[in-house]
Amino acid sequence: MIESPFGSVIVRRTASLLVSLVQLFALYVLFFGQYGPGGGFVAGVMIAASLVFGLLVFGENSATAQRATRLLAGDGVGLLLFVAVGGLCLIGGGEFLNYSQAPIPGLDSAARRYLGILLTQVGVALDVAVAAVSIVYSLSRSVAAGKTDA
Amino acid sequence: MTEHLPALVFLTPLATAISMPVAGHRRPALCRPIALIAICCMTVLSVASLWSVSVHGEIRYSFSGWLPPIGIEWLADSLAATMVTVVSGLGVLCLLFADGLGDRPLGGRAVPYYTMVLLLVAGLSGAIYAGDLFNIFVFLEVVSLSAYALVAVPGGRALVSAFRYLLMGALGTAFYLLGVGYFYAATGALNIADLSQRLPGLLDSKAVMGGLIFMFIGLAIKMALMPLHGWLPDAYSDAPASTVPLLAGLVTKISLLVWARILYWVMQPSADGGTLTIFALVTTFGILASVAGACLALRQRELKRMFAYGGISHVGLVLIGVGQANETGLSGAMYYLLNDAVMQCSLFVLAGFLALRYGASTLDELGRAHVRNPWAIVTFVAVGLGMVGLPPTGGFFGKLRILLGTLEADNNIAAAAVVLTTLITLGYFAQVFEKLVRAGSDSASAHQPETPWPLRATMAALVAAIVGLGIWNDQVVGLLVDATAPLGM
Repeated sequence: MIESPFGSVIVRRTASLLVSLVQLFALYVLFFGQYGPGGGFVAGVMIAASLVFGLLVFGENSATAQRATRLLAGDGVGLLLFVAVGGLCLIGGGEFLNYSQAPIPGLDSAARRYLGILLTQVGVALDVAVAAVSIVYSLSRSVAAGKTDA
Repeated sequence: MTEHLPALVFLTPLATAISMPVAGHRRPALCRPIALIAICCMTVLSVASLWSVSVHGEIRYSFSGWLPPIGIEWLADSLAATMVTVVSGLGVLCLLFADGLGDRPLGGRAVPYYTMVLLLVAGLSGAIYAGDLFNIFVFLEVVSLSAYALVAVPGGRALVSAFRYLLMGALGTAFYLLGVGYFYAATGALNIADLSQRLPGLLDSKAVMGGLIFMFIGLAIKMALMPLHGWLPDAYSDAPASTVPLLAGLVTKISLLVWARILYWVMQPSADGGTLTIFALVTTFGILASVAGACLALRQRELKRMFAYGGISHVGLVLIGVGQANETGLSGAMYYLLNDAVMQCSLFVLAGFLALRYGASTLDELGRAHVRNPWAIVTFVAVGLGMVGLPPTGGFFGKLRILLGTLEADNNIAAAAVVLTTLITLGYFAQVFEKLVRAGSDSASAHQPETPWPLRATMAALVAAIVGLGIWNDQVVGLLVDATAPLGM
């Protein structure tokens, strides 16, 4: 159980601004990752950080926390997306993850590669975010269990 | 199509594992059949890839179409294909066994449990196929992490064993990774084929020798080589009965296979005399582990611990074969590795069965239990023959080839160690056999429940595998010799 020990007005106002900003920047890093530094892993960590931040400031019953909890149900979905893209390339006759072979009509090879990399990066981002949030949750649960024991 | 088989073999259990949380969310009871079907599909695919490899030669698979050494390459030669077939077949049998054993119900934990089992099998196939040292590390880690979680399933004392296993295992993979780093620093390559071309001039380099030693220490912890075996007996005796066959049969064997790959496919012993020191070291540790492990097994009163030490002594035997730097020893060791996987699996199937059905987990309890189950006794006889090394089991032919390999290399001490281990193994199996078939009142056997069919099927298949590997030893060894042909030994 995560209570909200940081209840001051300043922290709450700052956090509500920062959470959405960080998430926006995470999306930028995710989509920009192919052209510059960044990518799925970094974006996933940033999304997770924003959610954990919101969780700490607003407590477990807030909207951010609900969003984080809902994210936990997506355990494995990111990896599934990754495997699905790879499998699609297999169906298209290329090697696993050979994006240019993915059977998507109306796209040339470069566009297929772009889409394939983007989708796998989204999968990576999802999985990293879920893993980070679930670590925080399991730690908070074990802290709560320790309190009830005492 | 056949060139995609290695990837498909790996992807079947992996994709099932990660869709398990979705599939089993509403109905956890579905997990077991789904896992069983997935590993059955994997077995079919791996048999197909074995056929393809034996007919068309080895498959080199480059992920995403990037060619090695830049891309990630999988190497499915006949050694890898045979090993994967054994791994997936044993996976099916272990799940069948768990089905029939009716172990403590998992309840809500069924989803993570079967996810872990599937990840373990996927990781094993990945570690077998991986064509570069770093990906071997990744898959070893996947295998180990699943194994730690599986050992901890019953809770209580198993948590302590699992934590100890985790600490030792993490140390092992860390050492291995350190060794890989040294190799990368010295050569700038990770791909096995690429490394084998760059290494011959660098054998005097301290980085290469140090890296090799670090990898050996790391893998030795993982394969439970004698002085570093501390985690294994506890982990195997505390893990759930339905899981131990999977761990005992497969997890330690993978590190042995990786070590053989590094010694022969990376170092290429015929190229230069500079690597012979490491072979002598491996042989020495093999001799130590095989004899001392067998002696320790002789001292155990608890069945699972005795079998665990038996496994430790067999690791030593395989290493003796690997350390001879000749083709007979290597193919014999790899053939023995396959047999050992099957035999360890059967031993722990038997131990789990006896413990849950008859409450017999020590030798004395076994003597009092009056086991009159023909399936268990026949399985025990077959495994016993295999472990001691008597024809017509595969254990005999494996040991024979290892022995021939030691004689070919004029290594009389190693040959003596193989014979001595055989005798001591005979000693502890005779002990168990005496307790198992001891004459007692038959009144107890009248109301013994019938053995459910999955258990009978598992035991029958295991006996068939032990004997079948022996009868068709020529063909299997032939496949393994094919795999060693490119080494030019």
